[in-house]
Amino acid sequence: MTYDYDVVIVGAGAAGGTVAGVLAEAGKRVLLLERGPAATFPDISRDHLRNQRLSLYGHNAGPEIDGNPRVTVSLHPTSTAVRPHEGGYDNNAAVVGGGSLVYGAQAWRFMRQDFRMASVYGVPEGSSLADWPIDYDDLEPYYERAEWEIGVAGDGDANLRQAPRKRGYPMPPIPGNPSREVLRRGADRLGWNTFPVPMAINTAPYQGRPACSQCSYCVGFACPVDAKNGSQNTMVARALRTGLCSLETGAMAESIDVDGQGRVRGVTYFGPQPDGPPSPNSGRVGQTARHSSGAPSIGGRGAVRRRVTAKAVVVSGGAVESARLLLNSACGMHPNGLGNESDMLGRNLDGHVYTGAFGVFDEIVQDGLGPGVSIATCEFNHGNPGIVGGGMLANEFTKLPIMFWRGGRPPDVPRWGQANKSFMRDAYLRSIQIAGPIHDIPSPTARVEVDQAVRDRFGIPVARLSGAVHPETMRTAQFIRERAEEWLRASGASKVWSYPNELGRSGGQHQAGTCRMGIDPSTSVTDTFGRIHSHDNLFVVDGSLHVTNGGFNPVLTIMAMAFRCAENIARSIA
Amino acid sequence: MDFPTELRTTLVAAMDRLIPADEYPSASNNGVLDYLERQFDGDLAGVWPIYRAGLESLNLEATAVLGRGFAELGPAQQDELLRRVETGAVSTPWPTDPAAFFTRLVDNVAEGYYADPEHNFGNPGKLSWKMIGFVERKG
Repeated sequence: MTYDYDVVIVGAGAAGGTVAGVLAEAGKRVLLLERGPAATFPDISRDHLRNQRLSLYGHNAGPEIDGNPRVTVSLHPTSTAVRPHEGGYDNNAAVVGGGSLVYGAQAWRFMRQDFRMASVYGVPEGSSLADWPIDYDDLEPYYERAEWEIGVAGDGDANLRQAPRKRGYPMPPIPGNPSREVLRRGADRLGWNTFPVPMAINTAPYQGRPACSQCSYCVGFACPVDAKNGSQNTMVARALRTGLCSLETGAMAESIDVDGQGRVRGVTYFGPQPDGPPSPNSGRVGQTARHSSGAPSIGGRGAVRRRVTAKAVVVSGGAVESARLLLNSACGMHPNGLGNESDMLGRNLDGHVYTGAFGVFDEIVQDGLGPGVSIATCEFNHGNPGIVGGGMLANEFTKLPIMFWRGGRPPDVPRWGQANKSFMRDAYLRSIQIAGPIHDIPSPTARVEVDQAVRDRFGIPVARLSGAVHPETMRTAQFIRERAEEWLRASGASKVWSYPNELGRSGGQHQAGTCRMGIDPSTSVTDTFGRIHSHDNLFVVDGSLHVTNGGFNPVLTIMAMAFRCAENIARSIA
Repeated sequence: MDFPTELRTTLVAAMDRLIPADEYPSASNNGVLDYLERQFDGDLAGVWPIYRAGLESLNLEATAVLGRGFAELGPAQQDELLRRVETGAVSTPWPTDPAAFFTRLVDNVAEGYYADPEHNFGNPGKLSWKMIGFVERKG
């Protein structure tokens, strides 16, 4: 049979965009579907109340507030339909580049122990803590590829706890700031190793784009000078330059199509009308997209249902939407969804419980420039007595004023009146927040299902999120929180405070785990290259594959995995 | 929306105690009313009834306890009354939860005072950013 494409990729985020670049450069004909738009810096805007960091009234990188609900089930349990900017939605961006368009761009490698959590620590009762089926050495060459081909700035020798690396970073680390100096002195007193945070931000002109201008809007926004490296300005751009990749935006996948023999044949999706007025979200770049069959039917606001065929399908929607699509692709032969023979699909949803502490200093410790995050320690990712795992700690990004008002106030400062105003004036440049992601201990009851009763604007059943991380994660968080306080005190803070974490679901921008990879099909969804056990031409490539999610921002691991999986997919397609 | 005059007077008096004037402007002198007027036509349209009830109750509470409308009280009395609202320790029947109303008011006033004027219309001269030392680079 002839196919419209060699590969259809659903989702143009950190993973899907990378897969598109690798496959197109390997000569494959690729259709890259993205439900959001290809957004520019002005599209993303600098709205302080509607962004990926603070979404009080909306978002700047999608999905649209109306027509894209999810159902969130609390621990109590009650279920509520929520919109993308509301609590419990666990949103990540819906835009070309995905989260990597608007992220803070910390670009961490996991450590060797992060791939072997069950072997190192044992399995806490009730948790689904497990080893990855691959180890750090399997991924090391692909970490290097991600660092050089996406573009990461760092000091390859400075982190004494990192796993061995064969090559340094392509760019020198981000510039220092007063926080780095103060915190380095404190860490030196404690005997802790510190180093500049590795960032996917140009510190020198790289790959045809300029160096960072140090604006104060890194995290939650797009970069005004295009110095922040995501998939949209690296691997997606490379894919399009081959002429072999079509990028279709405003395209929402409905199901993966399976033939009577159970073989994956393509994807059904809602896309913009071919001749109608373009919606702001829609467009097509690269080759003219080819569509084979099916009487077009209308769904949503003027969208048309289309069906494309391909030799292979790659699902890269993020841990929530990838699981949702596979569950929504249930058919006669696979009544519980594709890849769900063992009731593993959608389980083990995790992201990162964040912890940390705040400190106020007598001296000025901020220069107000971006990105702000500048110094980290990996002293407490592992080897903590009586604790399972741990997490990296770093100083936080430069805060928007309203973010500082909402979250930067010590418990003894009132939220209003002259005392509050004076604190804002005196403390903004004298405050440091230390924060870090805890290596979540996953739970099989934290999961993505679909809710047949609630539909999105296309009529597709929405994701239903429930459960929580394993409670053992809270003990780790408590330990790391105390280390953050210790660091601030040793650095000379005149006042230090922090807040305990509450047990709950963890997902959001670091979402992972729902299509766990493994060797045994009874305990995993895909093989070690993201291939769904039950379908040899259906792949998942995104954070969903992560068996555990490290005590680090996961994006470099997502990209490294995407390089590795995509190489294998290219080899497997004739 | 244009606030009814009496409610507007109460709202201005209340917001200027939440963020009072010093070397830097008070809430109402830094565009917070402009922010709220636009928000009550937009994201906050649904909560206007709570605001109306809260502001009316604040005035009734002031009159019942201290014999004058909220805006006519001195700053110390206004602060004392606001503290009672904040903790829910009110003396008159409120049709809306006083503490929840207060939290909403404090949050929304800070949003107008500290957010960007380009999208939110408060803080027109970015004076709150100058006050705290937030640096904005366009490029």
